[in-house]
Amino acid sequence: MSLLASFDWATIWDNRRLLSDGVWRTIQVSAIGIVGATVIGIALGAVRANRIPVLTQLAAAYVEVIRNTPILAQIYLIFYGLPLLSQHLAFTGFTTAWLAVTIWGGAFNTENFRAGFEAVPFRFREAGLALGFSRLATFFRVTLPLGGRIALPSTTNTYVSVMKNTSLMTAIGFQELTGTSRSISASNFRDVEMLTTVGVTYLVLAWSISGGMRLLERRLSFEDAR
Amino acid sequence: MIRRPRDLNHVISVVMLLALLAVGIPWLWHKYQSRPPWWDPVQHQIIHVGLKETLRMAAISGIGAAVIGLTLGTLFTIRFRPTRILIRAYIELWRGLPIVVTIFLIYFAFPRLDETIPYVPNISSLAAFQAATVGLILWGSAQVAEATRGAVQSIRKEQHEAAAALGFGWVGRHVYVILPQAARRLLPPMVGLLVNIIQNTTIAGLIGTGDVLEVANRSSERLLFLTGSSHALALILYVMAIFFVISFPLTRLAAYLEKRLT
Repeated sequence: MSLLASFDWATIWDNRRLLSDGVWRTIQVSAIGIVGATVIGIALGAVRANRIPVLTQLAAAYVEVIRNTPILAQIYLIFYGLPLLSQHLAFTGFTTAWLAVTIWGGAFNTENFRAGFEAVPFRFREAGLALGFSRLATFFRVTLPLGGRIALPSTTNTYVSVMKNTSLMTAIGFQELTGTSRSISASNFRDVEMLTTVGVTYLVLAWSISGGMRLLERRLSFEDAR
Repeated sequence: MIRRPRDLNHVISVVMLLALLAVGIPWLWHKYQSRPPWWDPVQHQIIHVGLKETLRMAAISGIGAAVIGLTLGTLFTIRFRPTRILIRAYIELWRGLPIVVTIFLIYFAFPRLDETIPYVPNISSLAAFQAATVGLILWGSAQVAEATRGAVQSIRKEQHEAAAALGFGWVGRHVYVILPQAARRLLPPMVGLLVNIIQNTTIAGLIGTGDVLEVANRSSERLLFLTGSSHALALILYVMAIFFVISFPLTRLAAYLEKRLT
Protein backbone atom coordinates (compact mmCIF):
# COMPACT_ATOMS: atom_id res chain seq x y z
CA MET A 1 0.00 0.00 0.00
CA SER A 2 1.47 3.25 -0.98
CA LEU A 3 2.06 5.89 1.63
CA LEU A 4 -0.35 8.37 0.12
CA ALA A 5 -3.05 5.78 -0.48
CA SER A 6 -5.96 7.99 0.44
CA PHE A 7 -4.51 11.26 -0.76
CA ASP A 8 -7.44 12.35 -2.87
CA TRP A 9 -5.88 13.60 -6.10
CA ALA A 10 -9.34 13.79 -7.65
CA THR A 11 -10.34 16.58 -5.25
CA ILE A 12 -7.64 18.79 -6.68
CA TRP A 13 -8.65 17.92 -10.24
CA ASP A 14 -12.36 18.47 -9.53
CA ASN A 15 -11.67 21.94 -8.19
CA ARG A 16 -9.13 22.92 -10.83
CA ARG A 17 -11.34 25.76 -12.05
CA LEU A 18 -11.68 27.42 -8.65
CA LEU A 19 -8.05 26.84 -7.78
CA SER A 20 -6.70 28.26 -11.02
CA ASP A 21 -8.94 31.31 -10.58
CA GLY A 22 -7.41 31.71 -7.14
CA VAL A 23 -3.87 31.36 -8.49
CA TRP A 24 -4.68 33.90 -11.17
CA ARG A 25 -5.90 36.45 -8.60
CA THR A 26 -2.78 35.85 -6.51
CA ILE A 27 -0.61 36.43 -9.58
CA GLN A 28 -2.52 39.59 -10.57
CA VAL A 29 -2.27 41.13 -7.11
CA SER A 30 1.41 40.14 -6.80
CA ALA A 31 2.23 41.59 -10.22
CA ILE A 32 0.59 44.94 -9.46
CA GLY A 33 2.25 44.93 -6.06
CA ILE A 34 5.70 44.22 -7.50
CA VAL A 35 5.44 46.92 -10.17
CA GLY A 36 3.98 49.46 -7.72
CA ALA A 37 6.59 48.66 -5.08
CA THR A 38 9.34 49.18 -7.65
CA VAL A 39 8.00 52.59 -8.68
CA ILE A 40 7.57 53.74 -5.06
CA GLY A 41 10.92 52.26 -4.11
CA ILE A 42 12.87 54.02 -6.87
CA ALA A 43 11.14 57.38 -6.33
CA LEU A 44 11.38 57.44 -2.53
CA GLY A 45 14.77 55.72 -2.56
CA ALA A 46 16.06 58.62 -4.67
CA VAL A 47 14.46 61.12 -2.29
CA ARG A 48 16.11 59.41 0.70
CA ALA A 49 19.52 59.00 -0.95
CA ASN A 50 19.61 62.64 -2.07
CA ARG A 51 18.25 63.90 1.26
CA ILE A 52 15.73 66.22 -0.37
CA PRO A 53 14.47 68.33 2.54
CA VAL A 54 10.96 67.71 3.92
CA LEU A 55 10.30 64.90 1.40
CA THR A 56 13.05 62.75 2.89
CA GLN A 57 11.57 63.11 6.39
CA LEU A 58 8.11 62.19 5.10
CA ALA A 59 9.54 59.18 3.25
CA ALA A 60 11.39 58.08 6.41
CA ALA A 61 8.18 58.34 8.45
CA TYR A 62 6.31 56.25 5.84
CA VAL A 63 9.01 53.58 5.86
CA GLU A 64 9.15 53.38 9.66
CA VAL A 65 5.38 53.21 10.10
CA ILE A 66 5.02 50.43 7.53
CA ARG A 67 8.01 48.45 8.78
CA ASN A 68 7.02 48.65 12.45
CA THR A 69 3.36 47.72 12.20
CA PRO A 70 1.94 44.34 11.18
CA ILE A 71 0.79 44.13 7.56
CA LEU A 72 -2.43 42.46 8.68
CA ALA A 73 -3.27 45.61 10.68
CA GLN A 74 -2.52 47.70 7.58
CA ILE A 75 -4.89 45.54 5.53
CA TYR A 76 -7.63 45.91 8.16
CA LEU A 77 -7.01 49.65 8.28
CA ILE A 78 -7.54 49.97 4.54
CA PHE A 79 -10.49 47.60 4.38
CA TYR A 80 -12.39 48.40 7.60
CA GLY A 81 -10.93 51.73 8.69
CA LEU A 82 -10.75 53.95 5.61
CA PRO A 83 -14.46 53.64 4.61
CA LEU A 84 -15.30 55.36 7.92
CA LEU A 85 -13.43 58.45 6.72
CA SER A 86 -15.10 58.77 3.36
CA GLN A 87 -17.34 56.68 1.13
CA HIS A 88 -14.89 57.07 -1.70
CA LEU A 89 -12.35 55.13 0.32
CA ALA A 90 -14.51 52.01 0.49
CA PHE A 91 -12.44 49.62 -1.60
CA THR A 92 -13.23 46.18 -2.96
CA GLY A 93 -11.19 43.18 -1.83
CA PHE A 94 -9.11 43.28 -4.99
CA THR A 95 -8.26 46.98 -4.67
CA THR A 96 -7.47 46.58 -0.97
CA ALA A 97 -5.25 43.62 -1.80
CA TRP A 98 -3.02 45.31 -4.35
CA LEU A 99 -3.04 48.60 -2.47
CA ALA A 100 -1.88 46.94 0.75
CA VAL A 101 0.95 44.94 -0.80
CA THR A 102 2.06 47.92 -2.91
CA ILE A 103 2.27 50.21 0.11
CA TRP A 104 4.02 47.50 2.13
CA GLY A 105 6.47 46.53 -0.61
CA GLY A 106 7.11 50.20 -1.45
CA ALA A 107 8.35 50.87 2.08
CA PHE A 108 10.78 47.95 2.03
CA ASN A 109 11.90 48.78 -1.50
CA THR A 110 12.58 52.40 -0.51
CA GLU A 111 15.22 51.10 1.90
CA ASN A 112 16.59 48.66 -0.71
CA PHE A 113 16.97 51.33 -3.38
CA ARG A 114 18.24 53.94 -0.92
CA ALA A 115 21.06 51.58 0.05
CA GLY A 116 21.73 50.87 -3.64
CA PHE A 117 21.82 54.53 -4.65
CA GLU A 118 24.03 55.46 -1.72
CA ALA A 119 26.48 52.74 -2.73
CA VAL A 120 27.13 54.51 -6.06
CA PRO A 121 30.46 56.31 -5.59
CA PHE A 122 30.06 60.07 -5.38
CA ARG A 123 32.70 60.66 -8.06
CA PHE A 124 30.51 58.87 -10.63
CA ARG A 125 27.72 61.37 -10.08
CA GLU A 126 30.23 64.18 -10.05
CA ALA A 127 31.50 62.98 -13.42
CA GLY A 128 27.95 62.97 -14.79
CA LEU A 129 27.41 66.55 -13.65
CA ALA A 130 30.82 67.56 -15.03
CA LEU A 131 29.77 66.18 -18.42
CA GLY A 132 26.88 68.62 -18.40
CA PHE A 133 24.03 66.27 -17.47
CA SER A 134 21.31 67.87 -15.42
CA ARG A 135 20.76 66.50 -11.89
CA LEU A 136 17.75 64.50 -13.09
CA ALA A 137 19.63 63.16 -16.11
CA THR A 138 22.54 62.19 -13.87
CA PHE A 139 20.12 60.24 -11.70
CA PHE A 140 18.52 58.37 -14.61
CA ARG A 141 21.75 57.76 -16.52
CA VAL A 142 24.25 57.16 -13.72
CA THR A 143 22.77 56.57 -10.27
CA LEU A 144 19.75 54.48 -11.29
CA PRO A 145 21.55 52.04 -13.63
CA LEU A 146 24.40 51.49 -11.18
CA GLY A 147 22.50 51.71 -7.88
CA GLY A 148 19.60 49.69 -9.28
CA ARG A 149 21.93 46.81 -10.05
CA ILE A 150 23.33 46.93 -6.52
CA ALA A 151 19.80 46.97 -5.05
CA LEU A 152 18.53 44.10 -7.22
CA PRO A 153 19.36 41.13 -4.91
CA SER A 154 17.69 42.74 -1.88
CA THR A 155 14.60 43.72 -3.87
CA THR A 156 14.19 40.05 -4.81
CA ASN A 157 13.45 39.23 -1.16
CA THR A 158 10.89 42.03 -1.02
CA TYR A 159 9.15 40.81 -4.18
CA VAL A 160 8.90 37.26 -2.85
CA SER A 161 7.49 38.64 0.40
CA VAL A 162 4.98 40.76 -1.52
CA MET A 163 3.76 37.60 -3.26
CA LYS A 164 3.62 35.66 0.03
CA ASN A 165 1.77 38.50 1.75
CA THR A 166 -1.08 38.32 -0.76
CA SER A 167 -2.09 35.18 1.16
CA LEU A 168 -3.13 37.44 4.06
CA MET A 169 -6.03 38.77 1.97
CA THR A 170 -7.88 35.65 3.14
CA ALA A 171 -8.59 37.74 6.25
CA ILE A 172 -10.78 40.19 4.31
CA GLY A 173 -12.49 37.46 2.31
CA PHE A 174 -10.69 38.12 -0.97
CA GLN A 175 -10.63 34.83 -2.84
CA GLU A 176 -6.99 34.52 -3.75
CA LEU A 177 -5.24 31.16 -3.62
CA THR A 178 -5.32 30.59 0.15
CA GLY A 179 -8.86 31.92 0.56
CA THR A 180 -10.10 29.78 -2.33
CA SER A 181 -8.60 26.65 -0.84
CA ARG A 182 -10.21 27.38 2.53
CA SER A 183 -13.60 27.83 0.87
CA ILE A 184 -13.21 24.52 -0.96
CA SER A 185 -12.14 22.56 2.11
CA ALA A 186 -14.98 24.13 4.08
CA SER A 187 -17.34 22.10 1.93
CA ASN A 188 -15.41 18.87 1.37
CA PHE A 189 -13.12 18.65 4.44
CA ARG A 190 -10.13 17.87 2.23
CA ASP A 191 -7.80 20.18 4.17
CA VAL A 192 -4.68 18.10 3.60
CA GLU A 193 -5.03 17.97 -0.18
CA MET A 194 -6.03 21.62 -0.52
CA LEU A 195 -3.32 23.05 1.72
CA THR A 196 -0.66 20.83 0.14
CA THR A 197 -1.68 22.10 -3.30
CA VAL A 198 -1.63 25.67 -2.06
CA GLY A 199 1.76 25.22 -0.37
CA VAL A 200 3.36 23.71 -3.47
CA THR A 201 1.92 26.51 -5.62
CA TYR A 202 3.37 29.19 -3.34
CA LEU A 203 6.77 27.51 -3.40
CA VAL A 204 6.67 27.37 -7.20
CA LEU A 205 5.66 31.04 -7.38
CA ALA A 206 8.38 32.07 -4.91
CA TRP A 207 11.03 30.13 -6.82
CA SER A 208 9.80 31.60 -10.13
CA ILE A 209 10.20 35.12 -8.79
CA SER A 210 13.66 34.56 -7.33
CA GLY A 211 14.72 32.58 -10.42
CA GLY A 212 13.48 35.32 -12.72
CA MET A 213 15.26 37.95 -10.69
CA ARG A 214 18.48 35.95 -10.82
CA LEU A 215 18.18 35.76 -14.61
CA LEU A 216 17.60 39.51 -14.73
CA GLU A 217 20.62 40.07 -12.49
CA ARG A 218 22.79 37.99 -14.80
CA ARG A 219 21.49 39.75 -17.91
CA LEU A 220 22.14 43.16 -16.42
CA SER A 221 25.55 42.37 -14.98
CA PHE A 222 28.48 43.99 -16.75
CA GLU A 223 30.59 41.95 -19.11
CA ASP A 224 33.77 42.10 -17.08
CA ALA A 225 31.97 41.28 -13.83
CA ARG A 226 30.47 38.09 -15.25
CA MET B 1 23.04 65.17 -7.10
CA ILE B 2 25.21 67.21 -4.85
CA ARG B 3 24.71 66.18 -1.29
CA ARG B 4 23.01 68.74 0.84
CA PRO B 5 24.65 69.30 4.20
CA ARG B 6 23.27 66.91 6.80
CA ASP B 7 22.75 69.67 9.36
CA LEU B 8 19.90 71.31 7.46
CA ASN B 9 18.04 68.02 7.32
CA HIS B 10 18.60 67.42 11.01
CA VAL B 11 17.05 70.78 11.78
CA ILE B 12 14.11 70.05 9.49
CA SER B 13 13.64 66.62 11.11
CA VAL B 14 13.57 68.12 14.59
CA VAL B 15 11.18 70.90 13.52
CA MET B 16 8.82 68.44 11.83
CA LEU B 17 8.89 66.10 14.83
CA LEU B 18 8.19 68.98 17.24
CA ALA B 19 5.35 70.21 15.03
CA LEU B 20 3.87 66.71 14.97
CA LEU B 21 4.10 66.44 18.75
CA ALA B 22 2.70 69.96 19.24
CA VAL B 23 -0.36 69.07 17.19
CA GLY B 24 -0.62 65.41 18.12
CA ILE B 25 -0.33 65.46 21.89
CA PRO B 26 -3.07 68.07 22.55
CA TRP B 27 -5.30 66.32 20.01
CA LEU B 28 -4.75 62.92 21.61
CA TRP B 29 -5.27 64.43 25.08
CA HIS B 30 -8.53 66.00 23.96
CA LYS B 31 -9.62 62.70 22.38
CA TYR B 32 -8.75 60.84 25.59
CA GLN B 33 -10.58 63.34 27.79
CA SER B 34 -13.74 63.07 25.71
CA ARG B 35 -13.55 59.32 25.23
CA PRO B 36 -16.85 57.44 25.05
CA PRO B 37 -17.78 55.09 27.93
CA TRP B 38 -16.99 51.95 25.93
CA TRP B 39 -13.33 52.89 25.48
CA ASP B 40 -12.02 51.93 28.94
CA PRO B 41 -13.24 48.31 28.99
CA VAL B 42 -12.16 47.81 25.37
CA GLN B 43 -8.71 49.23 26.07
CA HIS B 44 -8.41 47.03 29.15
CA GLN B 45 -9.29 43.99 27.05
CA ILE B 46 -6.79 44.88 24.31
CA ILE B 47 -3.91 45.46 26.72
CA HIS B 48 -4.53 42.88 29.41
CA VAL B 49 -5.84 40.04 27.24
CA GLY B 50 -4.64 40.71 23.70
CA LEU B 51 -1.20 42.18 24.27
CA LYS B 52 -0.41 39.56 26.91
CA GLU B 53 -1.27 36.77 24.47
CA THR B 54 0.75 38.41 21.69
CA LEU B 55 3.84 38.87 23.85
CA ARG B 56 3.57 35.34 25.28
CA MET B 57 3.37 33.87 21.78
CA ALA B 58 6.22 36.09 20.54
CA ALA B 59 8.44 35.09 23.49
CA ILE B 60 7.87 31.35 23.09
CA SER B 61 8.25 31.53 19.31
CA GLY B 62 11.35 33.68 19.55
CA ILE B 63 13.13 31.36 21.97
CA GLY B 64 12.06 28.24 20.06
CA ALA B 65 13.14 29.72 16.72
CA ALA B 66 16.50 30.81 18.14
CA VAL B 67 17.32 27.42 19.72
CA ILE B 68 16.24 25.30 16.74
CA GLY B 69 17.65 27.74 14.18
CA LEU B 70 21.08 28.01 15.85
CA THR B 71 21.31 24.22 16.11
CA LEU B 72 20.28 23.55 12.51
CA GLY B 73 22.41 26.37 11.14
CA THR B 74 25.50 25.08 12.95
CA LEU B 75 24.81 21.47 11.98
CA PHE B 76 24.55 22.58 8.36
CA THR B 77 28.26 23.47 8.35
CA ILE B 78 29.20 19.79 8.88
CA ARG B 79 30.28 18.31 5.58
CA PHE B 80 27.85 15.40 5.59
CA ARG B 81 25.52 15.26 2.65
CA PRO B 82 22.30 13.78 4.14
CA THR B 83 22.08 16.31 7.00
CA ARG B 84 22.89 19.15 4.62
CA ILE B 85 20.14 18.13 2.21
CA LEU B 86 17.62 17.74 5.04
CA ILE B 87 18.45 21.10 6.63
CA ARG B 88 18.48 22.87 3.26
CA ALA B 89 15.02 21.38 2.52
CA TYR B 90 13.78 22.53 5.95
CA ILE B 91 15.05 26.06 5.37
CA GLU B 92 13.69 26.34 1.82
CA LEU B 93 10.30 24.88 2.76
CA TRP B 94 9.50 26.99 5.82
CA ARG B 95 11.00 30.19 4.40
CA GLY B 96 9.20 29.70 1.11
CA LEU B 97 5.69 29.13 2.48
CA PRO B 98 3.61 32.11 3.57
CA ILE B 99 3.19 31.96 7.36
CA VAL B 100 -0.59 31.81 6.99
CA VAL B 101 -0.27 28.61 4.97
CA THR B 102 2.15 27.10 7.51
CA ILE B 103 -0.20 27.89 10.38
CA PHE B 104 -3.21 26.58 8.42
CA LEU B 105 -1.30 23.39 7.60
CA ILE B 106 -0.62 22.76 11.27
CA TYR B 107 -4.04 23.77 12.50
CA PHE B 108 -6.30 22.32 9.79
CA ALA B 109 -4.33 19.71 7.88
CA PHE B 110 -2.11 18.15 10.57
CA PRO B 111 -5.00 16.76 12.68
CA ARG B 112 -6.50 15.24 9.52
CA LEU B 113 -3.32 13.50 8.42
CA ASP B 114 -4.55 10.14 9.73
CA GLU B 115 -7.44 10.28 7.26
CA THR B 116 -5.06 10.81 4.37
CA ILE B 117 -2.00 8.76 5.16
CA PRO B 118 -2.57 5.27 6.56
CA TYR B 119 -0.77 4.14 9.76
CA VAL B 120 -0.51 7.70 11.09
CA PRO B 121 -2.08 7.69 14.55
CA ASN B 122 -4.99 9.99 15.15
CA ILE B 123 -3.68 13.29 16.44
CA SER B 124 -6.12 15.27 18.45
CA SER B 125 -6.32 18.78 17.11
CA LEU B 126 -3.95 21.35 18.54
CA ALA B 127 -5.18 24.43 20.31
CA ALA B 128 -5.00 27.54 18.16
CA PHE B 129 -2.30 29.06 20.35
CA GLN B 130 -0.07 25.99 20.09
CA ALA B 131 -0.61 25.60 16.35
CA ALA B 132 0.24 29.24 15.71
CA THR B 133 3.32 29.05 17.94
CA VAL B 134 4.58 25.94 16.14
CA GLY B 135 4.00 27.68 12.80
CA LEU B 136 5.95 30.74 13.88
CA ILE B 137 8.77 28.56 15.24
CA LEU B 138 9.05 26.66 11.95
CA TRP B 139 9.26 29.89 9.96
CA GLY B 140 11.50 31.70 12.45
CA SER B 141 13.91 28.79 12.93
CA ALA B 142 14.35 28.54 9.15
CA GLN B 143 15.30 32.24 9.08
CA VAL B 144 17.69 31.85 12.03
CA ALA B 145 19.24 28.71 10.51
CA GLU B 146 19.97 30.55 7.26
CA ALA B 147 21.56 33.48 9.12
CA THR B 148 23.54 31.16 11.43
CA ARG B 149 24.89 29.17 8.50
CA GLY B 150 26.32 32.33 6.98
CA ALA B 151 27.71 33.60 10.27
CA VAL B 152 29.36 30.30 11.24
CA GLN B 153 30.87 29.86 7.77
CA SER B 154 32.34 33.34 8.03
CA ILE B 155 34.52 32.27 10.99
CA ARG B 156 37.96 31.37 9.73
CA LYS B 157 39.31 27.85 9.67
CA GLU B 158 42.18 28.74 12.01
CA GLN B 159 39.68 29.32 14.82
CA HIS B 160 38.41 25.76 14.43
CA GLU B 161 41.94 24.39 14.36
CA ALA B 162 43.07 26.40 17.37
CA ALA B 163 40.06 25.27 19.37
CA ALA B 164 40.65 21.67 18.33
CA ALA B 165 44.30 21.97 19.34
CA LEU B 166 43.19 23.11 22.79
CA GLY B 167 41.29 19.86 23.13
CA PHE B 168 37.72 21.02 22.48
CA GLY B 169 35.38 18.48 20.92
CA TRP B 170 32.98 19.43 18.13
CA VAL B 171 30.26 20.63 20.51
CA GLY B 172 32.62 22.48 22.85
CA ARG B 173 34.42 24.08 19.94
CA HIS B 174 31.19 25.47 18.55
CA VAL B 175 29.58 26.48 21.85
CA TYR B 176 32.67 28.15 23.37
CA VAL B 177 34.66 29.37 20.38
CA ILE B 178 32.79 29.59 17.08
CA LEU B 179 29.27 30.69 18.04
CA PRO B 180 30.39 33.51 20.39
CA GLN B 181 32.33 34.97 17.45
CA ALA B 182 29.49 34.35 15.02
CA ALA B 183 27.16 36.15 17.45
CA ARG B 184 28.59 39.50 16.37
CA ARG B 185 27.25 38.96 12.88
CA LEU B 186 24.15 37.19 14.08
CA LEU B 187 22.80 39.67 16.61
CA PRO B 188 21.47 42.40 14.25
CA PRO B 189 19.41 40.01 12.06
CA MET B 190 18.18 38.23 15.22
CA VAL B 191 16.78 41.48 16.64
CA GLY B 192 15.18 42.17 13.25
CA LEU B 193 13.67 38.71 13.29
CA LEU B 194 12.23 39.29 16.76
CA VAL B 195 10.42 42.35 15.41
CA ASN B 196 9.06 40.24 12.56
CA ILE B 197 7.92 37.51 14.96
CA ILE B 198 6.12 40.05 17.16
CA GLN B 199 4.31 41.44 14.12
CA ASN B 200 3.55 38.06 12.61
CA THR B 201 1.78 36.88 15.76
CA THR B 202 -1.17 38.86 14.38
CA ILE B 203 -1.50 36.22 11.64
CA ALA B 204 -2.42 33.73 14.36
CA GLY B 205 -5.65 35.69 14.76
CA LEU B 206 -6.84 34.07 11.52
CA ILE B 207 -7.20 30.73 13.33
CA GLY B 208 -8.80 32.43 16.31
CA THR B 209 -6.13 33.13 18.91
CA GLY B 210 -6.88 36.18 21.02
CA ASP B 211 -3.93 38.35 20.04
CA VAL B 212 -3.99 42.16 20.16
CA LEU B 213 -5.31 42.69 16.65
CA GLU B 214 -7.92 39.95 16.91
CA VAL B 215 -9.16 41.27 20.28
CA ALA B 216 -9.45 44.76 18.77
CA ASN B 217 -11.33 43.32 15.80
CA ARG B 218 -13.75 41.41 17.98
CA SER B 219 -14.30 44.52 20.08
CA SER B 220 -15.05 46.60 17.01
CA GLU B 221 -17.52 43.97 15.76
CA ARG B 222 -19.22 43.89 19.15
CA LEU B 223 -19.38 47.69 19.21
CA LEU B 224 -20.89 47.74 15.74
CA PHE B 225 -23.54 45.34 17.02
CA LEU B 226 -24.21 47.23 20.25
CA THR B 227 -23.87 50.87 19.25
CA GLY B 228 -24.67 50.61 15.56
CA SER B 229 -21.58 52.51 14.46
CA SER B 230 -18.18 51.16 13.59
CA HIS B 231 -15.12 52.21 15.56
CA ALA B 232 -12.72 50.09 13.52
CA LEU B 233 -10.54 53.02 12.48
CA ALA B 234 -9.71 54.15 16.03
CA LEU B 235 -9.17 50.62 17.31
CA ILE B 236 -6.92 49.51 14.42
CA LEU B 237 -4.86 52.72 14.72
CA TYR B 238 -4.56 52.07 18.45
CA VAL B 239 -3.27 48.55 17.81
CA MET B 240 -0.84 49.85 15.17
CA ALA B 241 0.43 52.40 17.69
CA ILE B 242 1.03 49.62 20.24
CA PHE B 243 3.06 47.65 17.71
CA PHE B 244 4.97 50.74 16.65
CA VAL B 245 5.93 51.58 20.23
CA ILE B 246 7.25 48.04 20.72
CA SER B 247 8.93 47.57 17.33
CA PHE B 248 10.48 50.95 16.64
CA PRO B 249 13.08 50.84 19.45
CA LEU B 250 13.95 47.29 18.42
CA THR B 251 14.49 48.19 14.75
CA ARG B 252 16.64 51.12 15.87
CA LEU B 253 18.59 48.74 18.11
CA ALA B 254 19.09 46.35 15.18
CA ALA B 255 20.37 49.19 12.99
CA TYR B 256 22.70 50.37 15.79
CA LEU B 257 24.07 46.85 16.37
CA GLU B 258 24.58 46.43 12.64
CA LYS B 259 26.70 49.56 12.59
CA ARG B 260 28.62 48.75 15.76
CA LEU B 261 29.24 45.03 15.39
CA THR B 262 29.85 44.51 11.70
